[in-house]
Amino acid sequence: MRTVTVPGLARGLGFTALFAAFPFVFTESWVVNIGIFTVMYAALATAWNVLGGFSGYLSLGNAAFFGMGAYGEAILFQHISIGSGYRPFWVLPLIGLGVAVAVLPVAWVAVRTRAATFAIVTISMLFIAQQLAFNLHSLTNGAQGLVMPLPPFPNTTFERPFYLAMVAVLALSVLLSWYVASGRLGLMLFAIRDDEDRARGLGVHTTYAKLFAVAISAGLTAMAGGVWAYYIGFIYPQFAVDPLVTIGAVLMAFLGGRGTIWGPTLGALILVPAQQYLAFSEGASELYLVAYAAIFLGVMLLMPRGILPSIADLVAARRSSNGAHRADGPRAEMPEAVT
Amino acid sequence: MVACRFPDERGVVVRVASHKVSLAMAAVALAVTAACGGASGGSSSGSTKPLVIGISLSFSGDFSDPGHAAELGYKLWADQVNKQGGVLGRKVQLKIVDDASSPNQVVTNYQTLISRDKVDLVFGPFSTLLTAPAARVAARYGYAFPEPSGGGPLVFQEKLGNVFFVQPAPVVNCGDPFVSYILSLPPSERPTTAAYPELDDPFAEPIAERARLKFEAAGIKTVFKEVYPPEMSDLTPVVEKMAAAKPDMVFAGTQSDDAYSMVNAMVQLGFSPKFLFQANGANSPVEFPSKVGAKNTEGIFSCGDWFPNSKAPGNQAFIKAYIAKYGGTAADIDSGSAEAYAVGEVVSEVAKKTGKIDNATIIKTLHSGTWPTVEGNLSWDKYGAPNGSTMLTEWIGGKLLPVYPAAVALHPPVIPKPPWGG
Amino acid sequence: MHLVVQAIILGLLTGGVYALMASGLTLAFGVMRVINVAQGAMIVAGAYVSYTLFTDFHIDPFVSIVLMAPAAFAVGVLLQLVFLRPLRSDEREELSLLVTWAIALGIEGVLSVMYTTTYRATLPGYVNDSLTVAGYRIAVVRLVAFGISGVILLLLYLVLHRTRLGRSIRATVQNPTAARLLGVDAERVSAYGFGLSVATATAAGAVFGMVEPFNPGSHYDLISRLLTIVVLGGLGSLTGAVLAALVMGVSEAVLAATISPTWSSLVFFVILIGVLVVRPQGLMGATERGRL
Repeated sequence: MRTVTVPGLARGLGFTALFAAFPFVFTESWVVNIGIFTVMYAALATAWNVLGGFSGYLSLGNAAFFGMGAYGEAILFQHISIGSGYRPFWVLPLIGLGVAVAVLPVAWVAVRTRAATFAIVTISMLFIAQQLAFNLHSLTNGAQGLVMPLPPFPNTTFERPFYLAMVAVLALSVLLSWYVASGRLGLMLFAIRDDEDRARGLGVHTTYAKLFAVAISAGLTAMAGGVWAYYIGFIYPQFAVDPLVTIGAVLMAFLGGRGTIWGPTLGALILVPAQQYLAFSEGASELYLVAYAAIFLGVMLLMPRGILPSIADLVAARRSSNGAHRADGPRAEMPEAVT
Repeated sequence: MVACRFPDERGVVVRVASHKVSLAMAAVALAVTAACGGASGGSSSGSTKPLVIGISLSFSGDFSDPGHAAELGYKLWADQVNKQGGVLGRKVQLKIVDDASSPNQVVTNYQTLISRDKVDLVFGPFSTLLTAPAARVAARYGYAFPEPSGGGPLVFQEKLGNVFFVQPAPVVNCGDPFVSYILSLPPSERPTTAAYPELDDPFAEPIAERARLKFEAAGIKTVFKEVYPPEMSDLTPVVEKMAAAKPDMVFAGTQSDDAYSMVNAMVQLGFSPKFLFQANGANSPVEFPSKVGAKNTEGIFSCGDWFPNSKAPGNQAFIKAYIAKYGGTAADIDSGSAEAYAVGEVVSEVAKKTGKIDNATIIKTLHSGTWPTVEGNLSWDKYGAPNGSTMLTEWIGGKLLPVYPAAVALHPPVIPKPPWGG
Repeated sequence: MHLVVQAIILGLLTGGVYALMASGLTLAFGVMRVINVAQGAMIVAGAYVSYTLFTDFHIDPFVSIVLMAPAAFAVGVLLQLVFLRPLRSDEREELSLLVTWAIALGIEGVLSVMYTTTYRATLPGYVNDSLTVAGYRIAVVRLVAFGISGVILLLLYLVLHRTRLGRSIRATVQNPTAARLLGVDAERVSAYGFGLSVATATAAGAVFGMVEPFNPGSHYDLISRLLTIVVLGGLGSLTGAVLAALVMGVSEAVLAATISPTWSSLVFFVILIGVLVVRPQGLMGATERGRL
């Protein structure tokens, strides 16, 4: 059922290659530094999209997974001393899996609620996670924070390993995104998004579908958090588990087109540099927050489906020559169409 | 639910620094003095090139108030130095950018300042939370990192040779003068029991814990110890439990808001211990009396690294210059400005002593000797922890005064603490 | 035991204020199925306005509530018209969450610029006074705050049950289609309902500013608690919100006093999870739209 098309494959590999080549072309440290954060957010947004975009269940607690990944890395070093160098990267899949499994019990409670309550519950989960980070002193060192070992990479290409690690996480996210969307799980999630009661009535195992999506989303987000932890080197509860991380990822997914494969990445590519420009011109003041809010509102109100779907609509509208059939509420469109 | 320690977290979403070019002085034509010919200058060609110093400060987010205070201090120093011809004949130009109280941003900022803008030197940001990651970035590039406010243990645990915490003592030692003072009292005047309310914070809690261990070793019994979270804005429950234990002495590991809240709760509950020490909050010369009531401050101890009456070298000149540039009175000066000013002083002194102003020289030179600043005479160990100690301050007659050790005291300590309201 | 009872008293007083803060939130959801994440920010904004009126013009906080109410109502109506009405009704629930979150960020940004991040508190003359009743200390400020909250909640109740607008609102909550058939202009009711919820938010803010120090970032902490309260009480149920607020207030205070303050704030969420496992619709909510 899952078809790997040549154009699709070419796109996937092509983009990945482009991303990976970036630091070798633009070698300046500060540029790669920005690239790291951009790719990180692309991965976060793509991971969020698996649950939020495909199923319509807006999770606002993804930052908790991010923090779990970050702390996972740090704890592995503090308590088990895995050593440094490249090892923190090799343990990433382990962390991803670990977090994905660990969130299942709590996720089970959450996904049994309906959409509005679910969003609020995820916010609560976020706060619980932060609270735990502050309070479980023996594990997380509480407010004192945890330290990652000093990376031994040479100074001129210091950022490169981190950047490439983020690209790997992004590639994995996109791959999993595509895999889910083009398979049965994707169908179930889209059905849930359209009309959950009906889906359930038709025999779709909605709870398991949602759980699976949460697990995937959580694992990927945690891996991004792990790379971040190693890059920044210091993990404090309030920075590792931060609602603005979620908000950023969500906004980017919305902007680019939730429910699509590359939409979230597009959103990140637009927003992260745009934020830089705003910070540059608005400078040192909280007016920044206002500008951010304005963009957010603009996207919500003017382009609620995001860029990629809107472009696809335009294209489709133009194709149907006498405009007979506007793509009205095409919520069930398959992502391939707009990748 | 520390959401709003969330607010620190502004800008986890990436931003690149905004560039705030500060000094008009810097635009002034480069004054070439005789010194220019001799000094080999800093990083590059031309001894009359301005000395560009990159700094990341928090102008938004949780650290924005101290961020502004530090900015005033840095700018004042640059002003003063340029009035006298600059450092080794080079005019100082400060390049200050905003990190929005975010560690991601502070890393980006120092990266950009160093690798793109190629500043000659860097000075530190506000707070250990931001200093720790930033110091690593600077270390990678071999830049010296004198910084005004990153004094938490994490900074020194990094074992970086380029860090210099420009204050008299590491933050966690701030209770030491109080401990010495109490233990210097004859046993009949000493407290026999002690309570330790502690804010869950990387600095406040260690300060109290360090003191507690010392007091316990000296035989002062701990009848209460509790850690409370930062978002607990009403400390009544904690204070109630503490009052029920009837301690002679309360040693509180506090920052500012919880210190005010604690005193307010104690006043409301009518609990007035014989000895009350608050690590922070009570050392705010203007905020503290306004938040708890001027009549309630009497007899409360705190720690201090700087304040207007201090006899530290150059302090009076600093205050005069500050008032001349910014107005107000000495009481309005935030210690953060003095700390930042001291960072600049230290660098000027290296230049004066060695005739050079590059990063390697700074790093090598500052690790030995004692350096006079408005924060006192400072010296550092090899990982940047200062070797001195802070002083004990106390509110006496509505004023915050240093009372111990005797060498720096402006008034002997007053004990026991009088009841609330006078 | 004394400690526990003292904690219960404190918890009830605090819970009353939370009840007022949560009432607007649950009202907005009930009427329009809008999750107003900006409620916390509006409360903080109300606190700032009241603070300014008090510090600069010496206007008593209670009076400031009366002054703010009409303006807040108008702002609420405006917000609803501009930002919430354009959302498609089938997506409104979820999107409203994000839209209002953006509004909250905007409010926080503006407040940060105007007031900086220094913590403020409205400190009336009686801020340090306390009464002793049967051996228990009650801070006057908290008692006053509780009293004001109670009065405003009562007013809200009266509006909802004794005025035409109130009846229309309740009708829309219970059954929008039927309400429409009976001539209730759902759009207008939604706008007024939101206006009402913002007005209660600013009133709650004035009260909040008296008992706790605040800065622009305080809204995160607030909204997380309020959302929890509202979910616990059942989205859309005013009685549920009040009950849940009191339960939360007492639980947190008792836990802080008996076990430890660091873990006490988790109690909010633990209770929430516990209830949701058993009853996903909350204490008083129904699986369909409920009653106010």
